[in-house]
Amino acid sequence: MQDKQFMKEMLTESAHAYKEGRMDRRTFLALCGASGVAMNAVLAGDAQAAADHVVMWNWGGQSVECHGSAIGDAFTAATGKGVKFDTSGPLEGKIKEMVDSGNVTADVADADLFNAVSLGPTGHLEPIDYDIVSKDKTLPGYALEYGVSVILYGYAFVYDTEAYGDNPPKDWKDFFDTANFPGTRALYKWANGSLEAALMADGVAGDALYPLDMDRALNKIKSIKDDSIYWGSGSEVHSMVVNNEVTMAIIWQNRGRNIENDTDGRFKLVNNQAMAMPGAYIVPKGNPAGREAVMQFIATAQEVPAQLKLLDCLGMTPSNPAAFGEIPEDQQPYAITSAMNIDKIVYNDPTWWGENGGDAVNAFLEAIS
Amino acid sequence: MNAVARHIHPGWAIVAPLLVLVVALYLGPILNIMWLSVTDPEPGLGNYRKLYESDSLLRIVWTTLRICVITTIFSVSLGYSIAYAMVHCHLRQKNYMLTLLLVSFWISILVRTFSWLMLLGRNGLVNNTFETLGLISAPIAFMRNELGVLIGMVHYMIPYAVLPLLVSMQSLDSRVMDASRNLGASGSQTFWRIYLPLTLPGIVASTLLVFILSLGFYVTPAVLGGGKVLMVAEYISVQLLVTLKWGTAAMLAALMLAGVLAMLWIMSRFMKLSAVFGGSTR
Amino acid sequence: MADAFSGGSLRIEGVSKYFGAFRAVNEVELEIRRGEFLTLLGPSGSGKTTLLMMIAGFLDITSGDIALDGTSIANVPAEKRNFGMVFQGYALFPHMTVRDNIGYALSVRKRAEGEIRARVDEMLELVQLQDFATRKPGQLSGGQQQRVALARALCFAPPVLLLDEPLGALDKKLRVEVQEQLKDIHRRVGTTFIYVTHDQEEALSMSDRIVIMRDGAIEQVGSPQELYERPATRFAASFLGKSNFVQQNGAVFALRPEKIDIHLGTGHPQARRRGTIASITYFGSMQRIIVETTQAEQIEVDIDVWRNRQALHEGETVELSWQDEAAVELNES
Repeated sequence: MQDKQFMKEMLTESAHAYKEGRMDRRTFLALCGASGVAMNAVLAGDAQAAADHVVMWNWGGQSVECHGSAIGDAFTAATGKGVKFDTSGPLEGKIKEMVDSGNVTADVADADLFNAVSLGPTGHLEPIDYDIVSKDKTLPGYALEYGVSVILYGYAFVYDTEAYGDNPPKDWKDFFDTANFPGTRALYKWANGSLEAALMADGVAGDALYPLDMDRALNKIKSIKDDSIYWGSGSEVHSMVVNNEVTMAIIWQNRGRNIENDTDGRFKLVNNQAMAMPGAYIVPKGNPAGREAVMQFIATAQEVPAQLKLLDCLGMTPSNPAAFGEIPEDQQPYAITSAMNIDKIVYNDPTWWGENGGDAVNAFLEAIS
Repeated sequence: MNAVARHIHPGWAIVAPLLVLVVALYLGPILNIMWLSVTDPEPGLGNYRKLYESDSLLRIVWTTLRICVITTIFSVSLGYSIAYAMVHCHLRQKNYMLTLLLVSFWISILVRTFSWLMLLGRNGLVNNTFETLGLISAPIAFMRNELGVLIGMVHYMIPYAVLPLLVSMQSLDSRVMDASRNLGASGSQTFWRIYLPLTLPGIVASTLLVFILSLGFYVTPAVLGGGKVLMVAEYISVQLLVTLKWGTAAMLAALMLAGVLAMLWIMSRFMKLSAVFGGSTR
Repeated sequence: MADAFSGGSLRIEGVSKYFGAFRAVNEVELEIRRGEFLTLLGPSGSGKTTLLMMIAGFLDITSGDIALDGTSIANVPAEKRNFGMVFQGYALFPHMTVRDNIGYALSVRKRAEGEIRARVDEMLELVQLQDFATRKPGQLSGGQQQRVALARALCFAPPVLLLDEPLGALDKKLRVEVQEQLKDIHRRVGTTFIYVTHDQEEALSMSDRIVIMRDGAIEQVGSPQELYERPATRFAASFLGKSNFVQQNGAVFALRPEKIDIHLGTGHPQARRRGTIASITYFGSMQRIIVETTQAEQIEVDIDVWRNRQALHEGETVELSWQDEAAVELNES
């Protein structure tokens, strides 16, 4: 993978050189030959990072198909520009590395809004152009200088109906109550959501969570440590649940439907006190397609049709309030901002996480290990 | 100029380009890591000071060492028995065993890790069988804890432990063991006084290999430890990708590198490393 | 002294060894006398090493019995037989000093440290390696290693010492020297030596008795002189020394090259063959002459250069004569 990256960079660089006349055709062909790549492919690949395409950096899997159909098609129809994908997952460290190395190959990253808070001020992100992108087409507080929330996901929990059939857990308080609800829990390993859940369980009101009282949260987390295991990826918690390793699990709420299906309804999703997480589109500094193109792309994603398609395809909840009312009946239980759920949920504060996330994750890891 | 040239073997001219590449591509990044460890986030030894100041870092390092040592002990001793069996059984069985051993190299670590969950997990085959038979009333917690990590790691490491031992045992002259018996030594005397000392270079090689590989373990502890067993490799990855504390990550990486080099150096004081890595035992 | 040497006698009774369907040793009957130097001689594959390994206990016997001083040892494991053994290639313990190698047998028998020390010193003296006690085998020459192996095998005063081609790895000059030392040590310790070799000269010069083996069976047993002078079979005659085979009165006779007289020209009164010299090879002390006889035989004749100064040349006509007792009738069936 590193090799590929190196090869790609070398050829892209030489494609530029060739076009600008710094490199003769024969040398360029020889380089292509040595790398086992047809020249046309390189020139096309080079175009990938040029103005007629926008490169979206996402997490692979279904995302490619869904982002393409939900946003890409409309974007191409409106602007004539194509969309390509880099599926290596835009973790904060990778974005920083890409920008620091001066080799920016992605235009827009499917990231978290708190990434915009931590990476923006350090000069790793392009500011959002709110002349093109609309602040009204997202939830208040989720349109920040360096990133805008395009979708929402959420932290909710599932429980085993066979374990707690008559008296099911209703909220985070029950989730953390191992005396009345015995059994193993699965919590998210990277702190996010788990900390807020702990505070709510300890009696903090949903609208008074921030700034997080870390000591109080970690004490609560530690109080059920013997009955907890921790997951790092959606597929991991999914397998923990379907293999009955746990009787309750914090999960990404869009997984709720899959889990209910895979366990034939044995596990049920609880949305009460679920925490809405703003998923954001952010733009690496010096993105190849230029600011205007990528801002148009983000604006396209804000539109109601795109929002509904993302929900249908990926299970990601719209963040554009105009779309809330159009969430279809069968999606209501699994969409965090649906009419069914919107009054029960709490909202994540990306600013707190952007500023304190690193320390919070480390403190959390320390507490659980 | 000529005087210099006379002292440099012309063969170096042939390997020089490769040598330069190796130095540039290998040593460069390593130096970069070292550099990062004393400059990020600010110049100084602040990252290293954290080792003293932060209980959690020390605890992670300690957990890592503990798990690596236990893994190494079990992998090498089990590997020793397996290698012994392979060397002393019939050729046919030996080939079967060798095939099984090599096949396990090709199975992805993720597959192996999840196989253990299916076998020994809370709802795994073993627990289910025991419960059905009435041997236990509640599932035994094999997985999602340190025991799980150890089981997974030992399993992964055994083939690595076996190979150097196999080579070492195969190169032994069986007549030496015959001589020992002939001189009146019992089987166990022959083993402890002759066989074991003569396979010591293999044991050292196998120990080094397993221990060093264990230090870098990531996937198995993350999955089988249920998030509770945090080892240095995973912590480094988190600092790089999630919390952006690259200085801490670089410091830990430098620490591991220094640890491995120190280990090699200590070993080299007790025995010729060339003997450990495939040289003759004489 | 605790470990006084005394030889043991061995009886090998109808011993056979099969490896699957392959018969490596076939019904061997042999009496090995107390204190004698007995050599098992044969080409590779003749079963001599297999027989030795059965005596040592490293191989089970398929049928038959082996008895030491009248007691069967067929079911005694190798480590309980108390036989010393010098292995092919010596099989010294490379990680131990010369002293520890030699003392190993006593050390595994949990003898007192002082006793071991004294005994090892004695052994070092026997093989003249006093100055090498703290060396490791890798730091010794081939001949020295061989002596360490011998001292190690003799240290616990075994009644029988088995030697498996112990000189195979040495060069020719050193080999002769070590042969002398071995014989000397044998004389001094009185242990029964059973020596395996494929080298007929070694066998002839060292042994009290030689057992010639062929295809897993004993071809002939006897003192070197008996075997040389009176070989019973064509194989024995040709394996031990050189031999011509001549037909006389319908029987086959073995005739040693040095027992033939050669005469230039024709008309010698005792002439038994006439022929021409096909080749002459000079060996210093003697010449080997190959004569093609009128009966179309090739007869080798060794003549003493000093005592026989006839000017012989290739192509010349010669006559051959020998005394009646020089030709030994072979048992050809």
